[in-house]
Amino acid sequence: MAELTVENLHLRYGDNPILKGVSMNLDRGEVVSLLGPSGSGKTTLLRAVAGLETPHEGAIRIGERVVFDSAAAIELPAEHRNLGLVFQSYALWPHKTVYDNVAYGLRLRKVPQAEAAERVGQVLAQLGLGPLGARYPHQLSGGQQQRVAIARALVYNPPVILLDEPLSNLDAKLREEARAFLRELIVRLGLSALVVTHDQSEAMAMSDRILLLNNGRIEQQGTPQEMYGSPRTLFVAEFMGSNNRLAGRVAEVRDGRARIEGEGWSLWGTPKGETAPGREVNAVIRIEQVKLGDGPEGNRLRLPLSTSMYLGDKWEHLFRLGATALRAHGTGDLAPGEYWLEFPPDRLWLF
Amino acid sequence: MRASAAETLPRAFTILVTATAVLAPLSLILYQSLLNAPFFDARKAIGLDAYRFIFADPDFWQAFKNSGLIAGGMTLIAVPLGGLLAFVMERTDLSGRGWIEPLLLVPSFVSPMVLSFGYVVAAGPVGFYSVWSRELFGGAPWGIYSILAMTVIAGLTHVPNVYVYASAALKNLGSDVEEAARVAGASPFRVAFSVSLPLIMPSLLFSGVLVFFLGFELFGLPLVLGDPEGILVLSTYLFKLTNKLGTPSYHLMAAVAVCIVAVTFPLVLLQRQLLKGSRKYASIKGKSGRMRELPLGGWKWLAGGVIGAWIFVSVLVPLSGIALRAFVTNWGEGVRLAEVLTLDNFRSVWEEPTMMRGIWNTILIGVVGGLLTVACYTAIGFATHRRNDGWSRFVDYLVLVPRAVPGLLAGLAFLWVFLFFPPLRPLRSTLFSGWLAYSVVWLAYGMRLISSSLLQVSPELEEAARSAGAPRWRVSRDVTLPLIRYGLLGSWLLVFMIFEREYSTAVYLLAPGTEVIGAQLVSLWQGGAIDLVAALSLVNVVLVAVGLGIALRFGVRLRD
Repeated sequence: MAELTVENLHLRYGDNPILKGVSMNLDRGEVVSLLGPSGSGKTTLLRAVAGLETPHEGAIRIGERVVFDSAAAIELPAEHRNLGLVFQSYALWPHKTVYDNVAYGLRLRKVPQAEAAERVGQVLAQLGLGPLGARYPHQLSGGQQQRVAIARALVYNPPVILLDEPLSNLDAKLREEARAFLRELIVRLGLSALVVTHDQSEAMAMSDRILLLNNGRIEQQGTPQEMYGSPRTLFVAEFMGSNNRLAGRVAEVRDGRARIEGEGWSLWGTPKGETAPGREVNAVIRIEQVKLGDGPEGNRLRLPLSTSMYLGDKWEHLFRLGATALRAHGTGDLAPGEYWLEFPPDRLWLF
Repeated sequence: MRASAAETLPRAFTILVTATAVLAPLSLILYQSLLNAPFFDARKAIGLDAYRFIFADPDFWQAFKNSGLIAGGMTLIAVPLGGLLAFVMERTDLSGRGWIEPLLLVPSFVSPMVLSFGYVVAAGPVGFYSVWSRELFGGAPWGIYSILAMTVIAGLTHVPNVYVYASAALKNLGSDVEEAARVAGASPFRVAFSVSLPLIMPSLLFSGVLVFFLGFELFGLPLVLGDPEGILVLSTYLFKLTNKLGTPSYHLMAAVAVCIVAVTFPLVLLQRQLLKGSRKYASIKGKSGRMRELPLGGWKWLAGGVIGAWIFVSVLVPLSGIALRAFVTNWGEGVRLAEVLTLDNFRSVWEEPTMMRGIWNTILIGVVGGLLTVACYTAIGFATHRRNDGWSRFVDYLVLVPRAVPGLLAGLAFLWVFLFFPPLRPLRSTLFSGWLAYSVVWLAYGMRLISSSLLQVSPELEEAARSAGAPRWRVSRDVTLPLIRYGLLGSWLLVFMIFEREYSTAVYLLAPGTEVIGAQLVSLWQGGAIDLVAALSLVNVVLVAVGLGIALRFGVRLRD
């Protein structure tokens, strides 16, 4: 059952269109990420759902309740939507203690004092903040502040919790821990969550489904595996991972494969969408799919090594193909010279 | 969005009250200026007689010319000096900047009436410094009763107005642009004139317009320094109209008032446009936040000398003059200071019930009135906070209007309002009338204080409360108000100081029961009671100093 439904949402600031017809839904117990580059409209979409931005067209439903409908002139103010919202900056009220920050939503809902104390205590304990209730936000670490912000959004059991870039304010080390913690928490409590992020690995790690936004529209949506493993457009392929990209022309099409040719090279790949000989295409392959081969058999090119970089857990080798640099991963250093690189045809996507 | 009545009614009420308080007096002035007799006169008729009369009066044109001369001249003095002081204070390593800063702001907190009087007793023909100078050097080559002297004094005492804006703009300017000039081989003052000051040109322009129209509003200074030589400016011309004709010539005063507003109001609008522009300008220059001080090296003697000279002339001379004069029976050539020292001046104040009531009222209007005023300003601030609709824009312009109305005119307009509307008449002789006029006159200033506090509240803190389920009024009460409470306390203190300082607004509202020091000074000065003026001036300075001391003690920002 859909906890949240967004239909054909349009929103603009002045003359500047931000959302150009976005539709999506969020099922109970599901975590959906809104992923996209900055300016793609993902935060605006989240804020529109929360009631902090006013779209000029479309509809938003929370469960069965219509909270926004341009056709019926319905717009419920943010305070009546009963959603949990976690801000990027956490937005903890600096003049209230942790306890008061968390309890505020219950106080607004006129929950009796004793019951409120119990529920706040419970949610603080769930988030590992048990003994910190009397502190003020500035006395907490970044990770603790984030958890207070989450507790504040969870305490009144909203049907959907909205998280705006929840990890971006944490430093790199803490971010990985918080990511695991957040995913585990959302699954354990069975929450329905909508998460905004610009980091594709964060989105893949945390969510059941990813919506990739580009320029105010949904470019593609699907499970992390679908988004990473079978992107439908060049934009999705490029956004979801680190790639090698080659520009060329289709030379022949056979058995669902196509051969692409460039200056002094030719490779077999899998066309994404319609293609025909003579068409200009981009060939894209994930860096980790490029293999070092030992001979010319298969879909291979012989290329000179230009440099190698040590990354700690692996090596990254740079090869030259004309003006283009191609990257491949390896387990050890390579001596200068020429090497055979293998491009598995079903992993080389042609857009 | 459908807003509930509980949300719209308080807002509508606030906007309505503000609009009435601002527009009613102004409309009354305009209406009065179009009559050929005072509005309470049964024989009044609509006509342009009042304008015909003043336009035919050569004194009016002379006053207009003088106002323009003084306003232009003081702008030419205040803007370069204020910009330079701001550069030295914000960007260089001059030592002692911590204690110099409050001194730089003193002239903007001391009543111009008091300052002018200070110049008379310190540097007038028989002033302390003139007499000492003649004894030591055989001459005192300055005179203070001339247009030139008034222009210089007005220019020097308006330096803080420029300084405040220029230093705020310099704060937003990254120091990297200056370092680049320094590395290229420019001396500190070369850096100031070829890089820093040109980059903050919009702010300098803005403050230049400000100083220029403040020049048109000058009252205390020309009253004290221009009157002895018969030099009139627009405000003193208006003030003297009654004496000139011997009858209440309200229609003529109103016509002059309309002329003054016709000059200042376009300047206020221009200033607002410039402010918008300067915000855009400052935000794109250099990396802010990374501030490094420019080492002055040998130039520090010059910089220190300029600041020291300015402080001596603009702060020490007038204030020391008042302080001395308040404790002597008389002063002149050949008088020995030790022989004339006395406390009699204060005793006279103490024994005169109207004086004591004036002091008490001044404190009351500053402390209690200031608190109420800040509460009203806060209500107006909340009526426009985070609402970007037509009403907010209306209020934005509305609060600017009083900026264009000199205090003297505002006081006159409120007097008429209290006479014109019978239900308000009983309030006429209470302090309420003065308080209301003060609050409206300082509306623009106060709203800047309030909105700079409100702007510091991150919108997310309020949005978080709304998504937690708080309606707007609870967001204001539970989140916004507690977060700006220190800002409001600071505003209260600043409003206290400007209410202590205020004099011209109360001139026409002065009545038994509504005496305040500022207005009493004007009327005592007219009557020539120098001893009392000196004692009251010192009391006034002490009241402001108390406010300033508290503000410094608690680290209140002295400017918005």
